[in-house]
Amino acid sequence: MSGPSTLNVQLSTRPQFPWRIVDVIVAGIFIYAGAIKALDPVQFASDIDNYKIVPWPVSVVLAFYLPWLEIFCGFALVVRLLYRGALSISTALILVFTLATVAAKVRGLDITCGCFGHASQHWSFPAHLATNLGILAALLALWVSNRSAKPL
Amino acid sequence: MTSSLVRQALILAALALLPGVGEAIYFRHKISWQSPIPPSELVTVAQAHVWGENVIWVDARPDEEFARDHVPGALSLNEDRWNELLPQFLAVWSPGRKIVVYCSSLSCNASREIAVRLRKEAQLPDVFVLEGGWEAWLKSK
Repeated sequence: MSGPSTLNVQLSTRPQFPWRIVDVIVAGIFIYAGAIKALDPVQFASDIDNYKIVPWPVSVVLAFYLPWLEIFCGFALVVRLLYRGALSISTALILVFTLATVAAKVRGLDITCGCFGHASQHWSFPAHLATNLGILAALLALWVSNRSAKPL
Repeated sequence: MTSSLVRQALILAALALLPGVGEAIYFRHKISWQSPIPPSELVTVAQAHVWGENVIWVDARPDEEFARDHVPGALSLNEDRWNELLPQFLAVWSPGRKIVVYCSSLSCNASREIAVRLRKEAQLPDVFVLEGGWEAWLKSK
């Protein structure tokens, strides 16, 4: 039976068109960033090590793992499977990346961010920070827009 | 709702492990788990001394530190003035000579970055990083 209450639930779970665009853009950024780093994990391990936050063996583990986590989260956002899980991991990742960037700047480390492989090699600190904050804002907007949605 | 969110996050985290492990196996010979620099690309002060005149010393530290003191005969080549200093370095380099890059200490990255750029961008062979950097050189004197 499909009564009015069922219809309401279905309408609320269906994402509105503008938010799907944000979904796809954020997902695209995560998939691109993950893929470019997954192709060169040795360089990414070096980029992580430059932050001087974790020891080298941990940098290596993260270099092999984080790109794939980003890729899976990106795909989950596009197909809306495990959607909230993907949103939470993506938000956590961006927060950690942003904090690490600010911490590196505060400690006077002049490093490349490594966020988008060689494409981001010559990014300035403000450009890096603005990109991260832009993605964070988009993720927070997706959280708000999906508050009433039924988890998949 | 929270448990569902955690469950979804854990599933994604677990899924990402699989290709990550696969990639780690695939790249196992291309990366060292002990040091950012593969052992084959590191050289000690003693080893570099054995090479004698066949070595070109490259100082990857900032200009001020190079001006203060450096390995005798070393050439300055740092990230800040890479484009300007590289031609000067290439004018001195000749095939068969070994290049030893150093920065301040064991923990600095500049020597590694310059060594990578010399290999990849300038396509030079026999590029090594001095283990312990300038500090190790001073200790050996």
